[in-house]
Amino acid sequence: MLLYILKRVFQGFITVWFIATATFFAMHNVPGDPLTNDRAMTETTRANLEAKYGLDEPVSTQYLIFLRNLARGDFGISFVQENREVNDIIREHFPVSAILGVLSVVFAATGGVLFGALTALYRNRLPDYLIMFLVILGISVPSFVVAALSQLSLVSLNTLLGFTVLPVAGWGTVMHMLMPALVLGLSTMAYLTRLMRSSMLEVTSSDYVRTAKSKGVPPTRIFTRHQLRNAILPVVTVLGPAIAAITTGGFVVELVFAIPGLGRYFVEAVQQLDYTVIMGTTVFYGAFLVFMVILVDVVYGFVDPRVSLDA
Amino acid sequence: MTANKEDTNVRPSLLIVEDLQVEFDTYGGTVQAVRGVNFSVDQGQTLAIVGESGCGKSVTVQSIMGLIPAPPGRIIAGSARLRGHEILGRKTVGGGEIRGAEIGMIFQDPMTSLNPTMKIGDQIAEPLKVHRGYSARNASLEAVRLLELSRIPEASKRARQYPFEFSGGMLQRAMIAMALSCKPSILIADEPTTALDVTIQAQILDLMLELQKETGMAIILITHDLGVVARMADEVAVMYAGKIVEYGSANDIFYRSAHPYTVGLKEAMPTNDPARQHELKPISGSPPDLFAPPAGCGYCSRCPYAMQICSESPPQNNGLHDHHSASCWLHHPRSGIKPDTLFFGDAL
Repeated sequence: MLLYILKRVFQGFITVWFIATATFFAMHNVPGDPLTNDRAMTETTRANLEAKYGLDEPVSTQYLIFLRNLARGDFGISFVQENREVNDIIREHFPVSAILGVLSVVFAATGGVLFGALTALYRNRLPDYLIMFLVILGISVPSFVVAALSQLSLVSLNTLLGFTVLPVAGWGTVMHMLMPALVLGLSTMAYLTRLMRSSMLEVTSSDYVRTAKSKGVPPTRIFTRHQLRNAILPVVTVLGPAIAAITTGGFVVELVFAIPGLGRYFVEAVQQLDYTVIMGTTVFYGAFLVFMVILVDVVYGFVDPRVSLDA
Repeated sequence: MTANKEDTNVRPSLLIVEDLQVEFDTYGGTVQAVRGVNFSVDQGQTLAIVGESGCGKSVTVQSIMGLIPAPPGRIIAGSARLRGHEILGRKTVGGGEIRGAEIGMIFQDPMTSLNPTMKIGDQIAEPLKVHRGYSARNASLEAVRLLELSRIPEASKRARQYPFEFSGGMLQRAMIAMALSCKPSILIADEPTTALDVTIQAQILDLMLELQKETGMAIILITHDLGVVARMADEVAVMYAGKIVEYGSANDIFYRSAHPYTVGLKEAMPTNDPARQHELKPISGSPPDLFAPPAGCGYCSRCPYAMQICSESPPQNNGLHDHHSASCWLHHPRSGIKPDTLFFGDAL
C-alpha cells in the first residue's frame, strides 16, 4: 500500500508539473506585461524584478528560473500588491477557503447520502417527489443566484425576528461559515443525492439483501450493515471530482459573502495580470486537488474490500 | 398432500402447506403465479419441487419465507403450518424467529447472494448474533466451526476473507454454513447448484445430504434438474403453471410417472444408459399465460393425451396409491384406467 501511495504521489508531481508548465506558457502568451500598470514603479524596482525573474532573458531561461523557484517552494512576490509574497497570500487566505470547502464537502456528502437513502426508502411517495424536486432545483440554479437569494432571505429573517440568527456576510465565527458552506455545497449535494438514490435502489433489490432478509436480519440492521456501505461506494468515487468542483466554485460564493478566501485573490490577480499570484495560486490549487484525489482513492481502498491498493 | 397425512398420524409433518395462492400485480394485469399448492415435509426428509422456469416454484418457497415483495406480491389464500403453527405472513412461531432460525435458505447464485463488502465470517455470524444473542467473539468462533462443518479448508483464514476471494462452489458452501448457523429444522434450497459446474454441483449436493444426516433437518429443494432430484429427493412435487400436477416418492415420479407432463419432462432428459437411449423429445408449445389461466388443465394445450374435458374444467387431484397422486383427468376414477399402468402398461 505504501508503494501504491508513493507511486500516486510521484504521478501527482508530474501532473502538477504539467499544470505549472501550461500556466507558465499560457501567461506568456497573454498580451501585456506585468510591469506595465497604472502604478508608478521606480527604475530600481523594475530592474530588481527583471533580474529576479530574468524577465529580460529568453522564455526558456525564464521557464527554468520559474521551475527552480517552484522547486524551492518560492512562488515569488506579487507584482501588484507591494511587498507581499505569494506564499504569504496563500498561507493567510487558503485556510479560510479550505475550511469553507471542507465544511461544504462534509455538508454535501452527509446531506447527499442521507437524502439519497431517504428518497430510496420512500420511493415514489411524497418525500421522494419533494426531495427530488428540490434536487433538480439545486442542480440547475447557479450558485451566485442561490447565494444572493440566501442572503436576501437571511436579511428578511433577521429583520423579522429582530436579532441576527445568522450573519449575512463576513467571516470569523462558525455562524459566518454555515450559510456560505450550505450554498457552496448545495449543487454537489443535489448531485450526490441523485447518485445515492439510484445506487440505493439497486442495492435494495440485490440478491444479498434478499439473503439478509432470509437470515431474519431486522430491517434497520439490513439498512446499516448491508445496504448503506454498498450503496455509498459510487458516492465515494465521485467525491474527488466533487471536491474539485467545490474548491473551484468557491470563488463566486467567497465574493458574494465577502469571505477573505484565496479565490478572491485568484480572481483579482487574473484581472490585474498579477503574474506571480496567478501562477502561484494555480499551481497550489492544482497540487491541492491532486492530493485530494489521491486521498479519496486511498480511502476507497478501505471502503471497498475488492479494491486492492497494491501497486 | 392429503394422502401424506393419513400415514403420518403418529407424527404430524414438520411443515404442511395447504392451498397456497399467490398473485402479483403488474402493469399488464394480475399474474396468478401460484394457484393452490399443497405439500408437506417431514423431518429428515427431502422434498424436491420440480418444474420449468416461471412455474411458481421459487414464489412458493419465498412466500413461506415472507420474501415476496408486497406490493406487488400478495398471498391471497392458503396456510403454511410449521409444527402446527401458522407461519404465513408471520415473523415468529412459538417465540422463535422463522427466517434464519427455524428455516434457513440458500439461493441460486452464490456470487451475488453474499454481501460483497462484508467478511464471510461476519455474514455467517450475523444470524447467531441476531437470533441467538451470541457475543461478537463467540459468533465468529462459531462461524469458523460452521465453515469447517461445510468442509472449507483453512476455515479461520477463510472467515476473514471477502466473497470476491472465494470461488463459486466455496461461496455456496459458505451460504450453506450461514443458512444452517442457527440449526434450522428446514433448509430451503432454491436451485442451489444451477450456477455451479457439474463436479462442484455433486460436491454441494453431497454436503447437503451429509449435513442432513447429521442434523436431521428437512430439505425443500427447488430445481429444474431431474438428475439432482434423483440424487437427493425422498418426495417429489412436479409443478406446472402454478399448480402441483404430480406428487409422490422419487420412485413413483421416475418409474411410475402418472402425469403426462412428468412423462414429457423425462422424455426431454438425456440418459447415459445405451439400452434406453432415445431421441430427446422437447415438450412443444409454451406454458399458459398466467395473466389469464386456462379454465381447464394448464397443460391441456401441450398434452398429447388431451381430451375434451381437459380444456373445460380443471382436473381434481387423484390419489393413485400411498403418497402418489396426480392432477389429471386420465386418472379420474371414471376414466377406467388402472393407476400406474397408463404409461407403462397397455392401458391406452
